[in-house]
Amino acid sequence: MINRKFQDVGFNPQLAYILLTVLFAGLSIFLFQKTEFAIYIYLLLALTLLGKLSETRRTEFLKICFGNIQLKKIRIIENLIYSIPFFAFLLYKHLIGYAGLLWILTTILALVNFRTTLNFTIWTPFSKRPFEFMIGFRNSFYILFAAYALTIIAVLVNNFNLGVFSMLLVFITIWSYYSKPENEYFVWAHNQKPKVFLLSKIKTALLFSSSIVLPIVLILAIFIPQNIGITLFFFLVGLAFLISVIVSKYAAYPDEINITQGFFLALCIGFPPILIPYFFKKSENRLSRLLK
Amino acid sequence: MITVKSLYKKYGTIEVLNNINIEFDKGKVYGIVGENGAGKTTLFRCISDLEEYEGEIISNPNPVKNHLGLLLTDPFFFQKITGKEYIQFLCNARNVKIPNIEEKNIFELPLNQYASTYSTGMKKKLALTAILLQGNEFFILDEPFNGVDIQSNIIITEIIHKLKALNKIVIISSHIFSTLSDTCDEIHLLRNGQFIKSVQKTDFHILEAEMKQITIGNKIEKLGLT
Repeated sequence: MINRKFQDVGFNPQLAYILLTVLFAGLSIFLFQKTEFAIYIYLLLALTLLGKLSETRRTEFLKICFGNIQLKKIRIIENLIYSIPFFAFLLYKHLIGYAGLLWILTTILALVNFRTTLNFTIWTPFSKRPFEFMIGFRNSFYILFAAYALTIIAVLVNNFNLGVFSMLLVFITIWSYYSKPENEYFVWAHNQKPKVFLLSKIKTALLFSSSIVLPIVLILAIFIPQNIGITLFFFLVGLAFLISVIVSKYAAYPDEINITQGFFLALCIGFPPILIPYFFKKSENRLSRLLK
Repeated sequence: MITVKSLYKKYGTIEVLNNINIEFDKGKVYGIVGENGAGKTTLFRCISDLEEYEGEIISNPNPVKNHLGLLLTDPFFFQKITGKEYIQFLCNARNVKIPNIEEKNIFELPLNQYASTYSTGMKKKLALTAILLQGNEFFILDEPFNGVDIQSNIIITEIIHKLKALNKIVIISSHIFSTLSDTCDEIHLLRNGQFIKSVQKTDFHILEAEMKQITIGNKIEKLGLT
């Protein structure tokens, strides 16, 4: 199934696995270089990803297919396979104790199941203007709060890099809100021209993302004022890249962003505004079928 | 008014709609009937501008899609959007401001729950509520009575009567003939992508008898039930 997903977006699966390994190793090295709390973030991240496999409905389906004893074996093997990259990196860093702890927790996690979708409604400050931030906030509020906590820690230990990392963590989370194309009905329903539709999406995104990121910017500006220029630079780059993500999404709409667009989007990280006009125009064309 | 002229729609080499010509007038309710695969949903998608097609669709006001409330057979909902937020979203999409959405909740839906947790009937009622609050001129209701409880069916029938009285155009498809005979002024029979018959209200009983005859034939006897 994973191979099909890669093929759908135009990736050769073998190449994708190599690139993902390189990316994973790169991000892991970056994280461990930037903060002393990296090990805790790393373990939390691994267990959060593994937690997705413990979803009740998924477990029930496997139980019906394979029975109780087989299910436990499958779940343990699944979790251990998924945790291999994290385990390998911890061994590489000579954190043998933490690697052992990860495998113990991984095994325990395989024996429990829980609903990843909660039955109660999570409050969101963005309910007046559905839907990206509203749903995104509900899916990732704990990451946002973790980022705020990291910012406070960054100030307490006077580690500016950690503060920047927390800001980037929030931006990456926000960019992910625009990663999937919505059902065409939710674009069609608008009585706007493509240009107005796109500008309205961008306006909402800038407003809401600023309201999430500004507390971090303000804390860093007040408590580490000597780096205010760098703080503002990352803030503006984050916003510019957000615009790039939105226009890239609709430039591929109703399909997901393909490999070529992904490549150009990656180029935008260096200088986000460069491709915005091109993708904006392309988005207008793609949306003109649904918006008149 | 909506006028459909020489409408053709193909998926690859398969012709789904073949020379559809029809006029929908204000203040009237139209029923579209046909077997599964006859082309009803495709026709609705073409009128809504969700599909590209050959031919012409003219409306007043124009374009149709900006004044159309479209109730899909199986409405789609995001995973973590509440009923209230869904209504808010569709009203925002048409720049319609509803100060108190709860007041308009005539189907008494749990608006603060995630819509994805609703039953099939509740989802349909939510989607219907949302398009009604958009203040549309035209309505396409694809299977509005499917999966909905009997009390709500009565309410939906009354809503359709009210829309007719308000001079709106309502186009309905349903597999339950009685729901159409209760609400429609005209029924159009679609088969293999073509309208093969159009019937006024006075002749609905003849159409029903004909459809029964054609559909059932001697199929029940073939079962040899004893």
